[in-house]
Amino acid sequence: MARYAMVIDLDRCTGCRACMQACKVENNTPMANFWMYVFRFEEGEYPNTHVWFMPRPCMHCDNAPCAKVCPVGARYKRVDGLVATDWDRCIGCRYCEVACPYGVNYFNWKKPSKNYYLDWQDEDVVQVTGGAVPPYRNPDLDAPYGEEHRRTAGGGRLKGVIEKCTFCVHRVERGLKPACVENCPLFALHFGDLDDPNSTVAQLLRRKPSFRLLEELGTEPRVYYIGGHPPSTESRQIEEVKARV
Amino acid sequence: MATRVEQLPYGIGRFSTRLYLLLAVLLVLVGWGIFAYSREFVEGLAMTGLRNIGTMGGATWGLYVSFVIYFVGVSFAGITMAALIRLFRLDHLRPLSRMAEALTVIALVLAAFTILLDLGQPLRGVINLFRYARPQSPFFGTFTLVISGYLFASLIYLYLDGRRDAALLARQPGPLRGFYRLWAAGYRDTPAERTRHERVSFWLAIAIVPLLVTAHSTLGFVFGIQSGRPGWFSTLQAPGFVVMAGVSGIGLLLVIAAVMRVVLAEREQLHEGIFRWLGTLLLLLILAYLYFMVVEVLTTTYAGHHHEVRISLSLLTGQFAWLFWGAVAALVLAVIVLLLPYLPPGLRARVPATRPRWALVFGAAALVPASLVALQGLNLLTVLSAGARSLLAWLAVALALLCFLLLLPHLSRNVVAAAATAGILVNVAAIGKRLLIVVPSQTHGTLLPYGDGTYTPTWVEVSIVIGLFALGTLLYTLFFKVFPIMEVHAAEEGAQ
Amino acid sequence: MRATLAILMVIVGFALQAVSYFFLAAPWGIPSSPVYSNPRVPFAPALFILGVMLVFLAAVVYELLPDRQAQ
Ligand code: SF4
Ligand code: SF4
Repeated sequence: MARYAMVIDLDRCTGCRACMQACKVENNTPMANFWMYVFRFEEGEYPNTHVWFMPRPCMHCDNAPCAKVCPVGARYKRVDGLVATDWDRCIGCRYCEVACPYGVNYFNWKKPSKNYYLDWQDEDVVQVTGGAVPPYRNPDLDAPYGEEHRRTAGGGRLKGVIEKCTFCVHRVERGLKPACVENCPLFALHFGDLDDPNSTVAQLLRRKPSFRLLEELGTEPRVYYIGGHPPSTESRQIEEVKARV
Repeated sequence: MATRVEQLPYGIGRFSTRLYLLLAVLLVLVGWGIFAYSREFVEGLAMTGLRNIGTMGGATWGLYVSFVIYFVGVSFAGITMAALIRLFRLDHLRPLSRMAEALTVIALVLAAFTILLDLGQPLRGVINLFRYARPQSPFFGTFTLVISGYLFASLIYLYLDGRRDAALLARQPGPLRGFYRLWAAGYRDTPAERTRHERVSFWLAIAIVPLLVTAHSTLGFVFGIQSGRPGWFSTLQAPGFVVMAGVSGIGLLLVIAAVMRVVLAEREQLHEGIFRWLGTLLLLLILAYLYFMVVEVLTTTYAGHHHEVRISLSLLTGQFAWLFWGAVAALVLAVIVLLLPYLPPGLRARVPATRPRWALVFGAAALVPASLVALQGLNLLTVLSAGARSLLAWLAVALALLCFLLLLPHLSRNVVAAAATAGILVNVAAIGKRLLIVVPSQTHGTLLPYGDGTYTPTWVEVSIVIGLFALGTLLYTLFFKVFPIMEVHAAEEGAQ
Repeated sequence: MRATLAILMVIVGFALQAVSYFFLAAPWGIPSSPVYSNPRVPFAPALFILGVMLVFLAAVVYELLPDRQAQ
């Protein structure tokens, strides 16, 4: 079985947020939900300041606190390391969200259809699309995935369930890379199988020193950062995203 | 004579106009709560003030979860009192035991409702919890032990304990006779049955105590074992929970007992000794809790990680300071009130007599600016400037303090009123402290630098919570209109 | 007879709790596969609750069981 992981090169990231955009398009996430989010940090005192950027997907922890606390097993760990959310089972208690130290979970506060950027039922939209499924609605998301055949790719979400980054399980199972990785213009994001010594991620981790976020908590994240350093109390966000629904 | 015989004890079945009025008001409040919930059910939790932790800068657990803890806390104290009265043969407190049992049952029903209100998919929740619940999740204990097991156990306790009274009441004709017969289930009050009941209730009390500890610990674990949330990951969480549960539950029991004493005019049964005894217990528990609190605040501010310090500071001087210090003030005032009975008699004689009426006028006056400020806090009325708002808030505080000071001389002469006042104060403090456990660790406790968040409950949450309290009061009132609130006394038995 | 039945119910209740908690519900351990998210027997949590209820129902049975000698 594969052991998937992501490697993020902080020296390469320019904070363009193309990955955030790619994720939104690929996974049709509702407004104000950022499965992938890029921090823009500033450090130091004028004139010795330094700006840097840190993408933050779900860490797909090996010792995932969110999967431990889920009362009904809607959040679970797959054998290949992906942490999946079963939209058909989640009862919306949001315990995974308070247990996750990384703040990557997003709850569906409203009906998703009321919360998309484009209202598919809107008259103008219907006129343009002729009632056909618009191209920006990804049909792959609705299928069940994995040996366990559970709907974990983002389709079928409804109000009152939780969601988060899936590592694009619908792409990974087809042998593709996650949308954010494919769309990064600077090749700052890498994805692959740690068990395969020739994969980019394995090679990068062999060659360069790496760290993981909040390693001291023992969550064993599957997202590795190379170059740069972890954020500290000195890191101030340049602009905080406080998008609310 | 005939009517005298047919009258059931403790005002059962007697509905006065005032009672109807009370019931109507409660029904309206419950209806309003149901309406508010229908909004939430249709539109989703977007109707509440809850939002995601992280980029959305909110708290994902808020008022509802705080009230789950509060209700469960109240229920623990209720059944504990009943069990303690049985185990340690505290016979002078005996009249309280049925009140405590009913309090437990109703508080647990409310807690179950509140959990369902908080779920994004409540209907799914009801099925999936029975179907999939995982022992590894701390919710397993909350759901199986606290809500199901505890509720069931206390219902059985209430049922078995009421059989004798039901049998006595079934002897008289009345519309509810069939109900009493059913409840009594063949109980004839023979000595053999009495000893058997004694034995069973003793063992039940013994069995409930370990259930109490396990169940309560699992509730503490919901917060205490989350290493990713500063402010929650603490060993003091569980003992703090237990003590605060005792404080709020005994406080509420005191309030209920005081109300019953006045309404039912049962001054001999609910004598002052009960209030003095329970008041002292409450006093000790508050002191223990204050000690825990000081220790916790000291450790987290002095030696804590900077994330812990951030939360402590938000409590002590920041966004939540008003709530924190308000809760502390309520606890301290409760201590003062509870100490009043220990005034030396000479000193008490010299306390000038004031009429409580004026205090009540000031108290009511304090409510006006307070509710104005609250409305603005809920974003329902935003015409006031920040300056006017803080002015109003201080005005409310000043009026409330005046009311309290005017009330003191009265309270120093009246143990019952003092105990009830302390009960109200500690419950206000308990609700405040529950909120302070739940919210700041989410808004100010993110380990990645997301920045501070905010959480303000909306009218939906507030209306639902008020509706829940109304529902609880309604159930309590109705229960004691069909069943005796205290054990039917041997003397009354003879008279009838 | 009365006591035996009650004690039996308590024992069965506790046994049911233990069995459903440790063997029928989802396994303990660090979740590393979907196995940890599913109960091994469907509705195992309901069985656990049934166990809790049995234990306390024993009290009712003990009190309510009609006395044969008395009749
Ligand atoms: S980052 Fe959070 S949501 Fe993702 S696996 Fe880890 S604990 Fe779960
Ligand atoms: S919100 Fe859903 S996925 Fe998260 S812990 Fe609750 S049931 Fe599990």
